[in-house]
Amino acid sequence: MVLSATTDGGERKIRRNGSFGYVVPALLLIAFFFIIPVLMLLMRSVLEPTPGLQNYQELLGSTTYLRVFLNTFTVAGLVTVVAVVIGFPVAWLLAIMPDKWSRLVMAIIVLSMWTNLLARTYAWMVLLQRTGVVNKMLMSLGIIDKPLALVNNLVGVTIGMTYIMLPFVILPLIGILKAIDPAILRAAALCGANKRQCFTRVLLPLSLPGIASGALMVFVMSLGYYVTPALLGGTSNMMLAELVAQFVQSLVNWGMGGAAALVLLLVTMVLYAIQLKFLNPNRAR
Amino acid sequence: MTQPFLSIQGIRKTYGQVTAVKNVSLDVAKGEFMTFLGPSGSGKSTTLYILAGFQDPTDGDILLNGQSLLSTPSHKRNIGMVFQRYTLFPHLTVGENVAFPLRIRRIGQAEITERVKKALKLVRLEGFEDRKPALMSGGQQQRVALARALVYNPPVLLMDEPLSALDKKLREEIQFEIRRIHQETGVTILYVTHDQEEALRLSDRIAVFSQGEIDQIGTGQELYANPATHFVAGFIGDSNFINAEVLSSADGKAKLALPGGTVIDGVPMHAGKAGGKSASLLLRPERLSLSGMQVANGLAVTINDITFLGNNIEVSTQTGNGESLSVRLPFGHEAISSISRGDQAWLSFEPKSTHAFA
Repeated sequence: MVLSATTDGGERKIRRNGSFGYVVPALLLIAFFFIIPVLMLLMRSVLEPTPGLQNYQELLGSTTYLRVFLNTFTVAGLVTVVAVVIGFPVAWLLAIMPDKWSRLVMAIIVLSMWTNLLARTYAWMVLLQRTGVVNKMLMSLGIIDKPLALVNNLVGVTIGMTYIMLPFVILPLIGILKAIDPAILRAAALCGANKRQCFTRVLLPLSLPGIASGALMVFVMSLGYYVTPALLGGTSNMMLAELVAQFVQSLVNWGMGGAAALVLLLVTMVLYAIQLKFLNPNRAR
Repeated sequence: MTQPFLSIQGIRKTYGQVTAVKNVSLDVAKGEFMTFLGPSGSGKSTTLYILAGFQDPTDGDILLNGQSLLSTPSHKRNIGMVFQRYTLFPHLTVGENVAFPLRIRRIGQAEITERVKKALKLVRLEGFEDRKPALMSGGQQQRVALARALVYNPPVLLMDEPLSALDKKLREEIQFEIRRIHQETGVTILYVTHDQEEALRLSDRIAVFSQGEIDQIGTGQELYANPATHFVAGFIGDSNFINAEVLSSADGKAKLALPGGTVIDGVPMHAGKAGGKSASLLLRPERLSLSGMQVANGLAVTINDITFLGNNIEVSTQTGNGESLSVRLPFGHEAISSISRGDQAWLSFEPKSTHAFA
């Protein structure tokens, strides 16, 4: 018993040492395409136009740029909340639907993800504009008398981005919700819990790890989003990615662009670290 | 006439074309341990689920203390239930699981603590309050589920094959606990199982379900000694059936001709649908006696095998036309020494102790 365990462990060790060579190409790939570019960006952000931290000082010291940061977090937070609030019931419905139907709906959701992002965003522009379908419908139903401003503002960005982010909430949640035994909810009902109590005291706590990881995913992705805010948002609610694009494309200021990009990366990494520490799905159960 | 405590009246349940429960009626007395016994798909679980309020019957009514339960949703029925699968809330500790029904009922913390402690003591899991369900064995989890179902003193406790996921030894141990808890609390229990031994061990009365109907209701002894149908006879206890020809029948007694020509008289006869010339005769293995010498009115058989099973010996035999019959003899029975495999032997029995089903 002991002997075989030792041999087994020894073999595994040898295999692990021997396999190091196989990961070298992957490491090189990551180094060349991910780590080195980030380091170069870091270098430019502290070296251009002159060495020092003045880029970061300017970025974090000016109210204009701080408003961009604030706006970025507002949009990302808003999109996350709306996506979870809409995504949870959809995921629940898909989890309890007969498989035949849920597969169809899931195929539609995935298909929308495969459709070109730019095309989908332009479609929202058409739908949401002053003379668009949404405004026309609301007016013909008598809900409003003059068209609402649904694009070039926060509303437009939130609608467009929520639509794009929804699958990232729904798809992981379905798995988690499907894993919850319906008998547990029946047990809760017989214990006296009404529908609302079953939801708040049993279903919600059990699906919290899924909600949290989906929400973090959406939040992090939203922080760096470019196309949708650029097309559906207005100038007054610029997001960080747009700022980076402006620094690099219009102002050819690689120093400021790099600094803004790195601040975004840092925030993202901190959030990811928090997720790893507190929301590890393997630990939550 | 006093009204029954719990009365199930003509319950029927259909799913489209399929009828799960045909026509189930029974009364349960307060404090009774009633078991629904039957194979899977016999309608016993559906009946229980209708009681719990998870399903509505197509027809019929359920009265508790004379009041219909059907319009009351599950969460207001105040019924306890232990399920086949483990249904403890995985995010709560054992103590919080048991406290759950009390918290829903907005009971004060001091009383909750006390009642949770009492309930856990009842299932012999004192001091497990802070344990998470995932860290407990299946048997322990079902005991916590039992504590959770009893902590709010429900008038009726439903149990849907709660022990089917456990191994045999643990099952017997918890059966014993369930009996003790039933005696200590006096709660009325409706218990679903497909295991006849479990049903016999636990119940005051057993309702045998077959194809969406109750074939017979009675104590274990009644079902064993006087089975009303062929199905009950085959389901409770060990049984042999042989074909016989009905020569005449009157007043529930029949005169039968067995294969090989033996004629027996005075066999309790249970009328079936056909009412024809042939009947199926129930012979309990332990009610048969075996002899190496020809006996009057005996049934000639060939010995196929003799198996020693500790306190008794099982002899498998075969009649002249190929029907097999097993005979159980007590250890040390005199016939054993004189017979061996392949020998001719004779079986005899009291006609009164057998049953014929047309």
